Amino acid sequence: MRSYEIGTMIRCEDVHKRFGRTEVLRGITCDIAKGEVVVVAGPSGSGKSTLLRCINHLERVDKGRIYVDGQPVGYRDVNGKFVEKSEREVARMRAAIGMVFQRFNLFPQLTALGNVIDAPIHVRKIGRSQAVEAGRAMLQKVGLGDKIDSYPGHLSGGQQQRVAIARALAMEPKVMLFDEPTSALDPELVGEVLEVMKSLARDGMTMIVVTHEMGFAREVADRVMLIDEGIIVEEGPPEEFFDNPSHDRTKLFLSKIL
Amino acid sequence: MPIPLPSIDFEPAVVWRFLFNSVILEGAQRTLIVALVAQVLGVALGVVSALMRMSKNPLLSGPANFYVWFFRGTPLLIQLLFWYNGVPQLFNNPDVTRELTSFRVAIFGLAVNEGAYMTEIVRAGIESVEGGQMDAAKSLGMTYAMAMRRIILPQAFRVILPPTGNEFIAMLKNSSLAFAIGLVELSNAARSIYSVNYNVMELLVVASIWYLVMTTIFSLLQAELESRLSVGQRNRPPTLFGRMTEAFGTRETRVH
Repeated sequence: MRSYEIGTMIRCEDVHKRFGRTEVLRGITCDIAKGEVVVVAGPSGSGKSTLLRCINHLERVDKGRIYVDGQPVGYRDVNGKFVEKSEREVARMRAAIGMVFQRFNLFPQLTALGNVIDAPIHVRKIGRSQAVEAGRAMLQKVGLGDKIDSYPGHLSGGQQQRVAIARALAMEPKVMLFDEPTSALDPELVGEVLEVMKSLARDGMTMIVVTHEMGFAREVADRVMLIDEGIIVEEGPPEEFFDNPSHDRTKLFLSKIL
Repeated sequence: MPIPLPSIDFEPAVVWRFLFNSVILEGAQRTLIVALVAQVLGVALGVVSALMRMSKNPLLSGPANFYVWFFRGTPLLIQLLFWYNGVPQLFNNPDVTRELTSFRVAIFGLAVNEGAYMTEIVRAGIESVEGGQMDAAKSLGMTYAMAMRRIILPQAFRVILPPTGNEFIAMLKNSSLAFAIGLVELSNAARSIYSVNYNVMELLVVASIWYLVMTTIFSLLQAELESRLSVGQRNRPPTLFGRMTEAFGTRETRVH
């Protein structure tokens, strides 16, 4: 196995992914440190979401490697050859990678608490009473202590997304991936979700956030990355990225969304 | 002038007399048991076959496709005769023939036929669940099987239930085809009586009454079950139990 830098949480090496004839990712290489918050920006269809989905192996990469906490994602190193892991191994690895989706994807047949405790009980196999206790605390943390028994259909979009964050956190992940978490929300509900994400960042969670919320990026991100046409065009600390971008494509992108 | 046919007047009293006749009641009971067991087995077959049919592996989807194609494409009557008369001929073994009673073959034949229809109903139900649900379940570390069982199928069942209720009501009536393999279910029981006393109309009415009783009860049960399954949804209809107790004021109204 390759040598591994201490302090790196996610490493992508020359990641390629195509859907049919379209090459969505064309060689993504990046390291993300433990506790780092990286905001990924870019025009729609640029491959940002696909990159997140590759990191927890919801999509198979066609070429290149992804490591999370030193472990190759989806593949195993067998005498120098990479073999796809068994479904069970992939599932175990995903359990340590939290993901929040644009459309929330809460389980509609379960209450807020049910959504949060289902995977801890059935995947992590922790006791029900312990899971309930932790689940309540988690919902409290995202400000929904009074919505524990509500079904997703009775919650606002912002509340649903906060339940979704609590659900991912309940698995005690090493990394959180946010796939446009506020894009499906009414503007007045965006703030409450961003607040939860900010407090998570303050607690030292490693986060990759695909978003168009540039205010959030400027305030919270350690690093901002622009992905366009499947490659990383520019990356840097937010001050540099926003105030002094070096690529024309970054300038063009910023002029469109700011 | 045409010669009038000899006729017996329709006598409502005969209907009443045979409504609770033991042969009729046993027939109705057999109809109910056969239909119920066959439907349950049919749903189970449908779930397995739907999952196979949706698989990318042709070794799984192939047999499932064949199953649906064959059993939807041939008449139920022929399928029942095939299992009851055809299969014993293949084995030509009296022990096998003895085991293949009309009761068992009726349940089996109806279930296998039903499974083919249920395959399509279950598949449509599973496909109606948003793809994001599977993504979310997997991202939480669930395997495909666990995600199916815990997340996808419970949601699919809401969509599957109404057509399955339809299927069951059709099953109650289709089970009468088992008369062809000698099963004395409700319609055959009625026939066996009117072939002796010639009160054809009265006994057909008796059988129809019992079919209507069964289909009505199950329609109500279905509505109740649908209401209970719609938990967590807006505009949830009140359950039958809820409406009844509400009417008598013994139970608090559920607040969502």
